[in-house]
Amino acid sequence: MTDKTSRSRTILVVGGGISGITAAVEAAEAGHDVVLIEKTPTLGGRVARMNRYFPKLCHPTCGLEINYQRIKKSSRIKVFTMSSVAAVKGGPGGYTVTVKTQPRYVKPSCTACGDCAAAATSEVANHHNYGMDKVKSAHLPHTMAFPMRYVIDGSVVGTPEGAAIQAACKIGAVDLDEKESSFELEVGAVVWATGWRPYPASNLTMYRYDDLPDVITNVEMERLASPDGPTGGKIVRPSDHAAPKTVALIQCAGSRDLNHLPYCSRVCCLASLKHAAYVREQMADAQVDIYYIDLRAHDKLESFVQRLKRDPQVGFVKSKPARIEPSGAGGGAVVCGENTLTREVYAKNYDLVVLATGMQPSVIEGDMPAMDKDLDAYGFIFPEGEAISAGVASGPLDVSMSVQSATAAALKAIRVASV
Amino acid sequence: MSTYDLNFARWVYENVDGGDKMALCMQCGTCSGSCPLGAQMDYGPRKLFMMVRAGLKDKVLESNTLWNCVSCYNCVVRCPRQVPVKYVLHSLGTAAVRAGIPAATKSDNARFARAFWWSASKLGRTDERIVTALFYFSYGLSKGFKMAMANLPVALGLVKTKRMHIGAPYMCKNKGELKTILAKAAEIEARHAK
Repeated sequence: MTDKTSRSRTILVVGGGISGITAAVEAAEAGHDVVLIEKTPTLGGRVARMNRYFPKLCHPTCGLEINYQRIKKSSRIKVFTMSSVAAVKGGPGGYTVTVKTQPRYVKPSCTACGDCAAAATSEVANHHNYGMDKVKSAHLPHTMAFPMRYVIDGSVVGTPEGAAIQAACKIGAVDLDEKESSFELEVGAVVWATGWRPYPASNLTMYRYDDLPDVITNVEMERLASPDGPTGGKIVRPSDHAAPKTVALIQCAGSRDLNHLPYCSRVCCLASLKHAAYVREQMADAQVDIYYIDLRAHDKLESFVQRLKRDPQVGFVKSKPARIEPSGAGGGAVVCGENTLTREVYAKNYDLVVLATGMQPSVIEGDMPAMDKDLDAYGFIFPEGEAISAGVASGPLDVSMSVQSATAAALKAIRVASV
Repeated sequence: MSTYDLNFARWVYENVDGGDKMALCMQCGTCSGSCPLGAQMDYGPRKLFMMVRAGLKDKVLESNTLWNCVSCYNCVVRCPRQVPVKYVLHSLGTAAVRAGIPAATKSDNARFARAFWWSASKLGRTDERIVTALFYFSYGLSKGFKMAMANLPVALGLVKTKRMHIGAPYMCKNKGELKTILAKAAEIEARHAK
C-alpha cells in the first residue's frame, strides 16, 4: 500500500456521457478534484444524440446545458476529450492510469467561428447521426458540443485541403502537426462510465437491416426525429424521403434472445412508445404498430403507456416477428410472423420499420484486460466488484436511472479516494 | 370438453427429444411465424407448446402440427430460447403413434413412414415403387388402386426420364447383417425405455 499522506484524492471518471458528467460534478461539488476523460471530441454521449428523453420528454439540450454549467463553474474538474484509458495499475486508493489522447488538430483557442468548415471540401461520415449523413472534414461534433471546439478529421492532414483549412483560421487555432500523446495520472479512485452501444442490427439477418433501406434502428429513429438530425427533425423513410403512413416498431430486436443479447435491454419498450408518439405528433394520419413479446415499461411511466394505448392509431401486436421481407414495389418492407393472441399468421406491409435494438456495453471483454475480472457474462461491470461503475456500464438503464447510478458511483469513489 | 392430464408436461419434458428445453419457451411466436406451413397447422408449435404445459394431452397428440413439420429448421435457428422445435414435434409424433392415437397412426405421414420403414428394414434400400405401393394400399384396395392410377402418368414420366427403373427392386447385399444391426438397435432402445 502507498503512504497515506502522499496519496492522491483525485477521482478519474472514464466516459463523458450523462453518467460520467454526473459522477464528475457530484464528486467535484463534494470537494474532490476530478479528471473526466472522453473518447470522442465532445461530452454528451448517447444522450446528446437523442431527440427527447424520459421521464418528462425534455430535449437533451436542457439537461446537458445544466450539467455543462456545473462543469464550467467548478474549478475542480479537468476535462480531456479524445482521450481514453490505455493502462491501469495499482488498486483502490492508489491507481496509476495511463491516458492516451488522439489528435484533434484544433487548439483550445478555437472560437467555433466555422471558417475551417467553410474551407473544407471533403466530407466524412457523421458520427453524431450514426453515419446517416455526412459532415465536412472540419466540423463541430454537434450543436451542443463541449468543449465548443471544432475537430478536424485525420484524413486531411498533409493534403492541400488541410493547408487551406489551416490558412482559413484567422486566429491560428488549427495545428495539423498534433500527434497522438499520452500522460499518466495518479488517482485515488476510478469511476467507469463507459456506457453502451446499440447492438449491431446487421447480426439480425432475418430482419434484413443491411439490404432494406426502410428498415432502420431505434437510435436512427431518434436522429430522424431530432431538430439537429439528418432531416432536420422530419421523420421520413430513407428510400424516397416520403413521410411514412404506416410504421412498424419491432421490440426485442436482438434482446432477450440467446442467439444475440440474452438479457432484456430495459429501455427499448418505452423508447419505442416514445417513437410512436413522435410519429403521431408529426403525421395525423399515420398508423403505428408495436410488435412485442411482453411490454416491459420500466420505471414510473405507466401513464405514458396508457396514453398511447388510448390512441386508436397505435396498434399493439403481441408477436415477435419471424422475418422481414422486401415489399413488392415502392419501398417499405413486409413484416411476417404469428400474432400470438389470435394465432393468425400475418405478412403486413409497412412504409417504415424500426428495430428496437438493445444495449451492449461499450467496453467488452478484451478491450481492457485489467477490467475483465470485473465484467459479468454479458460484459457489464459487477456492482459488487472492485471497479466502480456508473450508468449503463453496470447494466441497461435509462437516463434517470443512469444519473442515480452515477451519483451512487460518485459516493463510492469519494469513499475509496478519501481513505 | 377438454380433459387435462396434469402429468403430461412433465412426461414430455422428460421423454421427448428436446423436451428439457421446452420449459424455456416464452411464447413469442417466432417458430409459428417462421414456419413455411405455419398457416396450415391447426395450432403451430407455439400454441402446441402452451397446450403441452396446460396438459391437453389428447389434443396435442391428435394435432396435425406434429405431421406438418417439413424439417426446414427455420424455427430451430431463430428460436430466441434455443428450443429445438423440430425435434420436439417429431418426437411428439412418435409418441402419438406409440400411444395408438388414430389421428396419428392413420395420418398420411405415419402411413408413409411405415411404408418407408418396411422397405428400408426389409430390403436395406428404399425402392420407390414398393414404398409408394405400400403407402397407397394402406388406404385399402380400391382407394389404393385409384391413387396408384392417378399417379401413373408421373411414374411413366419418371421411367421415361430414367429417374425410376423397371426390374427387380433395389436391395442391400447382406440382409442378414442388416437384421443383426436392427435387432441390436431395438435392444438398445428397449434398454433406454426402462
